[in-house]
Amino acid sequence: MSLLDFARGPVIHASLIILVAGLLFRLVGVLILTRGADLSRPRDAFGNFKGYRTVFSRAWPADEFRTTTRYQTVLAYLFHLGTFGVVFLIVPHIEFIASLTGLSWPGVPNFVGVALGTIALVSLIALIFRRLSRPEVYNSNIGDYVTWVIVALPLLTGLMAFAHVGLRYETMLALHIMSAALLFAYFPFSKLMHAFWFVFSRAQSGITYAHKGVRI
Amino acid sequence: MSVPVFPSVFPTFEQVFQGFAGQIKMLREMAPPPTLPVDERVARATDTLIEETNADEAVWLESCIHCGQCTNACHFFVATGEAKYAPMRKMDLYRRVYQREISPLRWWHRLVTRPVELNDFEEAQELVYDACSECGRCTMVCPMGIDIASLVHHMRSAMVAAELVPPELNALRMEQMHRGTVFGSSPEALREMADKVRDQEGIEIPIDKAQADVMVLSSAVDLVANGNGLLATAKVMNHLGIDWTICSDAFESANFGLLSGDMALWKQQVEPIVAAAQRIQAKTLIIAECGHAYPALRWNPMLQGGELPFEMMYISEFLGRQAREGRLRLKPLQGKVTYHDPCKTGRRGGAFEEPRAVLKAMDADFVELPANREYNWCCGGGAGIFLLERATRLRDESFKIKMQEVEQTGAEGVVVSCASCRLNFESGRFKNHWNKRVDSLVELVADHLIEHQPTRGEGAVA
Repeated sequence: MSLLDFARGPVIHASLIILVAGLLFRLVGVLILTRGADLSRPRDAFGNFKGYRTVFSRAWPADEFRTTTRYQTVLAYLFHLGTFGVVFLIVPHIEFIASLTGLSWPGVPNFVGVALGTIALVSLIALIFRRLSRPEVYNSNIGDYVTWVIVALPLLTGLMAFAHVGLRYETMLALHIMSAALLFAYFPFSKLMHAFWFVFSRAQSGITYAHKGVRI
Repeated sequence: MSVPVFPSVFPTFEQVFQGFAGQIKMLREMAPPPTLPVDERVARATDTLIEETNADEAVWLESCIHCGQCTNACHFFVATGEAKYAPMRKMDLYRRVYQREISPLRWWHRLVTRPVELNDFEEAQELVYDACSECGRCTMVCPMGIDIASLVHHMRSAMVAAELVPPELNALRMEQMHRGTVFGSSPEALREMADKVRDQEGIEIPIDKAQADVMVLSSAVDLVANGNGLLATAKVMNHLGIDWTICSDAFESANFGLLSGDMALWKQQVEPIVAAAQRIQAKTLIIAECGHAYPALRWNPMLQGGELPFEMMYISEFLGRQAREGRLRLKPLQGKVTYHDPCKTGRRGGAFEEPRAVLKAMDADFVELPANREYNWCCGGGAGIFLLERATRLRDESFKIKMQEVEQTGAEGVVVSCASCRLNFESGRFKNHWNKRVDSLVELVADHLIEHQPTRGEGAVA
């Protein structure tokens, strides 16, 4: 079995099993905890329901914080959009997803894929520079740096494989697939879980404050 | 702005503030030392956090990605630029306990993190008492919407269990636990103040009526100090022709259980108030200008507000409703003013519009602070911080943000509706030789009443 076959076969499949099992384990483990009831009388009867809008409204910072959050917000958006784009829109990824699920959709031309991957990687680098240059703001721990490396590797190896830079194409591709496998397996045990927590976290706070008639 | 008409027998708020500062020094010496063995303190603190952690707390603790956005929303971080005051750091120890004891990955975290020790709690003490007023401004910017203030409050409960409440708060907590009141206040002090107000001002304060529509709470800060808040409240209530009373067995708004994190004491303070309001068949319970008393009563999730036969409201809400309904007719307020939303009644209480309605009823030349309502900057003195000597630098530095905000409005004075905010503003005004006036909303209203005899049908019911 070649390195590429090994990566495409057992490695990626094992990582996907860890991803799904880990996601369920962590999400269920937290969400089955009891919820404390708020027994105080809400400001208006149906006010609490309005709290759910925080899930959406918090997608962009309030004007009050525009200056202090601009850099982080813009780069984080570029990173997330670039990453989503490159994960779900380039043809080889769609073919891989189709092989697992049978679902497929049209991909973007190669140059768009390269642009998306580059945007994601460059914004990720810009974010780490910011994190390193302002330690008092970011309060970074080892997990923040490990996560950064694990997220950056698939982007870097993917772009290198596409551009035929570095090692032999098949080797680069195998490294790319294995780095993605590492990301999948690491995901449920890391802060990358915010991809799920954000919905619950925002909703909880939105409701807590809406109960008092405050829109956050 | 107009000058208060209160006679000189009652000291000014500036004098009150200076007397208060002296009293706080004494508190430090009165605090009891820890009594339990170290292991027991850590175990109790850990158990408290485990017990208080529900899904909400767990999700919030899981959600932080260290994006750093919260830092620039926090007055203590902005004022000092010191990394340790970043809001996210204030939940670090709680997260560690959560990860090791509750999280689905606890087996892993127990391998890679060291056990929590007493010195971890000792280090966190400054962060959760001195450097967090539980104002909630960080939640307004957090992309995950984490309610850090509520997590800090759980940390304060853990600190109570670890016997690590700062000495000033602890002394007052003990006083309230054993005597029911604070700052040497008592039912006798209340009666004496009522007599003084009647003799010198001719204003009647009805104490212990068997039945009344409205039950009013007072505050020790007011009672043992200048009494102006009580006097002003009485003037307004009598002016409106309201059937009201103060209960001598349940008059204290201040709750050092809530401030210190001792929820058993919180309950001990709240229960007599609820019982008294039911006994006198009150329809409305009015909370004095004492910011944290609002969440202690009106918004406490453990108090079944929905099932009580009376409504609870903050004095600014009461005044605002009276003004909106046209019952509170007031003389115009001179000079340009702005309004400071106390964290506990504003962002964490939702009483935004009522105090503004009162100022409108005074036809005030009113200007909003650049950051107002849910975005208001905390004055730096909330959640008991005003009492902590060690927090003086943090408080004074963060108050400068507030000063700049007020300067930007061009207002001549600031109206506040919280005794803690007011003490902190007074302290900041004094230390910075600041030329702004600081007024209490209820005292302003009392000063601007248009005196008339209530005609039939005009007597208001709250």
